[in-house]
Amino acid sequence: MLEATNELGNAVLSTGGTLTDPNAAAALAVGLAALGAGYAERGIGSAAVGAMAEDEDLFVNGLILTVLPETIVILALVVVFIV
Amino acid sequence: MSAVGSSNPEYVVARVRARRGSLYGDEEYRKLTRMSPAEIARFMEESSYGTEINALGSRHGGVDLIEYALNRNLAKQFEGILDWSEGTLYDLIARYLRKFDAWNVKTIIRGVYTDTDQSAVEVDLIRAGEFDDRRIRRLLEADSIDAVIEVLEDTIYGDPLREAYAEYEETSVLVPLENAVDRAFYERLLSGLGRDEPTRQYEAFLKAEVDFRNAINALRLARSGADIDPAAYFIEGGDLFTRGSLARLARNMDELVEYIADSQYADELGPALRELEEADSLIAFEHATDAALLAYGDRLGTIHPVSVTPVISYILAKEREVENIRAIARGKEAGLPVDQIESELVIT
Repeated sequence: MLEATNELGNAVLSTGGTLTDPNAAAALAVGLAALGAGYAERGIGSAAVGAMAEDEDLFVNGLILTVLPETIVILALVVVFIV
Repeated sequence: MSAVGSSNPEYVVARVRARRGSLYGDEEYRKLTRMSPAEIARFMEESSYGTEINALGSRHGGVDLIEYALNRNLAKQFEGILDWSEGTLYDLIARYLRKFDAWNVKTIIRGVYTDTDQSAVEVDLIRAGEFDDRRIRRLLEADSIDAVIEVLEDTIYGDPLREAYAEYEETSVLVPLENAVDRAFYERLLSGLGRDEPTRQYEAFLKAEVDFRNAINALRLARSGADIDPAAYFIEGGDLFTRGSLARLARNMDELVEYIADSQYADELGPALRELEEADSLIAFEHATDAALLAYGDRLGTIHPVSVTPVISYILAKEREVENIRAIARGKEAGLPVDQIESELVIT
């Protein structure tokens, strides 16, 4: 996954703009935030599935906790509107 | 947390924690101690033991039903944990659960030795270890100790048993064979553990268990005054004793008690040791070691929430629950008074 991030950075750099270009930097910020959210959800998701396997009533709680890191991406999207 | 690869530990720990929540607490134990064996079976049927009680209810009754249901439920739960876990986690859990393999091997050898009926041996097995059903079936069908060892040839018990067999043939007592099985288990338990922090704590826990086992063995030998070499019962791997110090201490009860009282386990075992000096009762000491291990396991499970330690903590608590229920049922059957049964329970 880290290699992918590198390539992303290279792609941004090679298409003319630099990371000092506000739009490119904002795009990278959102991308990285999404990456972080995905990484966090991976652990929470498998724990949630484990808990649900024991007790089906935990479905709602598990779902909410699993998508909670998505808030990071939403907050990161704010950056796009600011620049 | 698992940094790379699958997020298997998270899954296993979540399931185990959910199961831990459904273990019996103080309230349930208080109820159970006031019930007859039949009522205990009924009570278990309505909890997580329902499937087992229903499956065995037509064939067994009374305390036997409770006992077999407990064994079967224990086996099912631990098999489940092994099924879910992968990689390093599997290895760490299987290490500990292999003690049921050791138990099964010893039970089968004893069964062959005393010429017990196959089905009578079968109900005493706890199928929680690594041996699959096929191997257990072949073990049960073995009609001599030699045949049992042959079935175990490709396991860790094969070679040590083969060596001990010669001694068994000379003396025809089971002690060398049983010692060989135990030692094979404990050697595997502590060898080649990883170096990360949760694993180190797991290792410290395992060492405490080995220490306590050695201490109990030494106390038993010292009290019985029998002319047995204590070094023959020594289990490697603990911190507290060496082969030499155990052999020396087992000769003198007072010295041994003092030695344990000065060790790192003084806080947990102190009260039990004083009781041992006064009342000369080993039972209190054994209960104190069990309670100390259980408390240790509880603490362990909270330091690294996503690692092997909460799983081990659950395994210990579950084992304890099964032993407690068994003690209650057996005590009730023998007509013991409530407060005496309660003194037999280990609850933290």
